[in-house]
Amino acid sequence: MKREFICIICPKGCRISAEYEGTDIKNIIGDKCLKGKDYVKNEITNPLRIFTGSVLVENGDFPLVSVKTSSPIPKKYLKKIGEITRRIKVEAPIEIGQVVAKNLVSEDINLIATRKVNIINK
Amino acid sequence: MPEKEVIIIGGGAAGLAAAVACKQKGIEDILIIERGDYLGGILNQCIHDGFGLEKFHTSLSGPEYAQKYINQVMDKKIPFLLNSMVVNLTPQKEVIVVNNNGLQHYRAKVIILAMGCRERTRGAIGIPGARPAGIYTAGVAQELINLKDYMVGEKIVILGSGDIGLIMARRLTLEGAEVVLVAEKLPYSSGLPRNINQCLYDFDIPLLLSHTVVDIEGNGRLSGVTIAQLGKRGGIIPGSKRKIVCDTLLLSVGLIPENELSREAGIVLDPITGGPQVDERGQTGVPGIFACGNVLQVHDIVDNVSLEAEYIVEGVTEYLEGRLTREPEIKIELGEGLRYVVPQKLIYRKDTIFSFRVNQPGEKKILIFEDGKKAIKKKSFPRVNPAEMIRVKLSSAELEGIKILKVKLVSL
Repeated sequence: MKREFICIICPKGCRISAEYEGTDIKNIIGDKCLKGKDYVKNEITNPLRIFTGSVLVENGDFPLVSVKTSSPIPKKYLKKIGEITRRIKVEAPIEIGQVVAKNLVSEDINLIATRKVNIINK
Repeated sequence: MPEKEVIIIGGGAAGLAAAVACKQKGIEDILIIERGDYLGGILNQCIHDGFGLEKFHTSLSGPEYAQKYINQVMDKKIPFLLNSMVVNLTPQKEVIVVNNNGLQHYRAKVIILAMGCRERTRGAIGIPGARPAGIYTAGVAQELINLKDYMVGEKIVILGSGDIGLIMARRLTLEGAEVVLVAEKLPYSSGLPRNINQCLYDFDIPLLLSHTVVDIEGNGRLSGVTIAQLGKRGGIIPGSKRKIVCDTLLLSVGLIPENELSREAGIVLDPITGGPQVDERGQTGVPGIFACGNVLQVHDIVDNVSLEAEYIVEGVTEYLEGRLTREPEIKIELGEGLRYVVPQKLIYRKDTIFSFRVNQPGEKKILIFEDGKKAIKKKSFPRVNPAEMIRVKLSSAELEGIKILKVKLVSL
C-alpha cells in the first residue's frame, strides 16, 4: 500500500510517501533528511513518541514538575504512562534532567524532569 | 528618575532573547520588567517537546527552552524585576512600573516591547447560549493543568484548531479526560500539520473542519454544546446542528498581540497583525521603541521568536550608536495571496528578514519581490499554509536603489 506521512520530528512537517506491505518497506519518497526517513520507517514498523507530562511535587515552589521520557517510546504506551504519572509524587528540590521515575511499563522507559523546582521554605 | 540604556517590557521568550543579545552586543545597562512570578513567560506552561530544534538542534520542552535563556540572564547578571507591571509608557520612553514597592518611574534610551499576546475569548467570537462554568481558553486550561495542578474537566469539546488547542487535546487525553472532538470553523486547520498528526490522529480524536459551536447549555456547569456545519460562505447548513454532551469547552480561536502600552505611547498598529508597524529593524513609529516576538506578530515557533529578538537587537545597537541612517521610506505593497508582511516599511536598506502569512493553504507557489519594474527576488514553495509563517531574507545589495517594493504569492 501507499501512504503519505506528515513528519512530526521538526516544525517543517514534511510530507513523505512510502510504499509498503505490512512492515516490509519498498520505497520512501519525499524525505528531506535522515530523521524524516527514520520517522517513516518507525511509523510503519514501530511508531515512537516522546511522552511529556507532569507529576506531583512535595515541598516544591511549583505543585508539579514537568517530565518527559528520556528517549522516544512506543506510541502504544503513551496512555499507560499517562496513567502512571498521575500516581507519582516526587520530593523537591528537582533539577532539569533528574530521573524522577524508572522502568515504567518496560525496563528502559525512564521519566526525567524538564523543570527546576526549588524546595519551599515553610 | 533612574535612566537605563535599554528597558525590556516582558520576560518571556522574546524579552529574554533580546536581553541576552543586548548584553552580547556590549549594552550593559539593561532592565527586564516582568509581570509574572517568574521569567520564561508562557514557555513555563508549554511542557510538551519540540522547542529548540532550530536554535539548539535538539528537541526541548518549553521549560527547558526557557531555562537555557534564564541561565544566560543569571550568568550575565542582567537585572530583572518580577511581579512588576508596566502601567504606562510614553513616547519619551518613560515607563511607570507598579509592584510591591509601589510606583516607580524609569526612563530609557531604548524600549523593547516584548509583551507577547493573549487569547481570544468567548466574548470575542460571540458564541450565544448559557454562561455556565467549564468554558476555558486553551492556554488558561494549559496553565491550570500544567502549573496549578487543577484538572479542568472530564469530557471535552475543543473549538478552534490552533496549536494550543491541539496540544491540549493530547494533554487532556493523557491526563485521563475524553476529548470528544475538535471543531474548526475554517475548511482547514489553523494549527501545524505535525500537531494534528501527533495530538489528534494519534489518539483518534476527530477534527471536524467547517464546523463551529452555535449554542452552549448548562445550569451551573456546562452540560453540552450544539455544533453545526458551515457552508462555503460561513452560514450554518440547515439540518446540520447536533448536540454534544460535554462538561468542558476549550477555545483555541486565536491570539491577539498585547499592545495596550504601545497604543498609549502613540505607536501605530497594523490592523492585520495586531502588532506595531515596524521598519526593517523592528523599530516602531516612535524612534527608539522596538518590538519583537508575539507582541509584534503571533509566531508558530518559539525559535523564530528568539531569532526575531536577536535580529531587532542589531537595530537597537545601531540606534544607540547613532548608526541608523535614514533613506527615503518605502512602504511595502502587499499583493495577492498574502495576508500580511512584517516589516511594513523599509527605511535603512539593510539586510532584512521579511515575515509573511499566506491567505489560504496552497501548493506550488512562488513568492515574488518586485521593485515596480522587475522581480528582484523569487522563492518557491511546494506547499504554503496560513499556520506556517514564511520568512525570507533580502540582502542590502538586493534592496539597493529600489523606490518601490511589491510582494505577491502566485501559482507556479
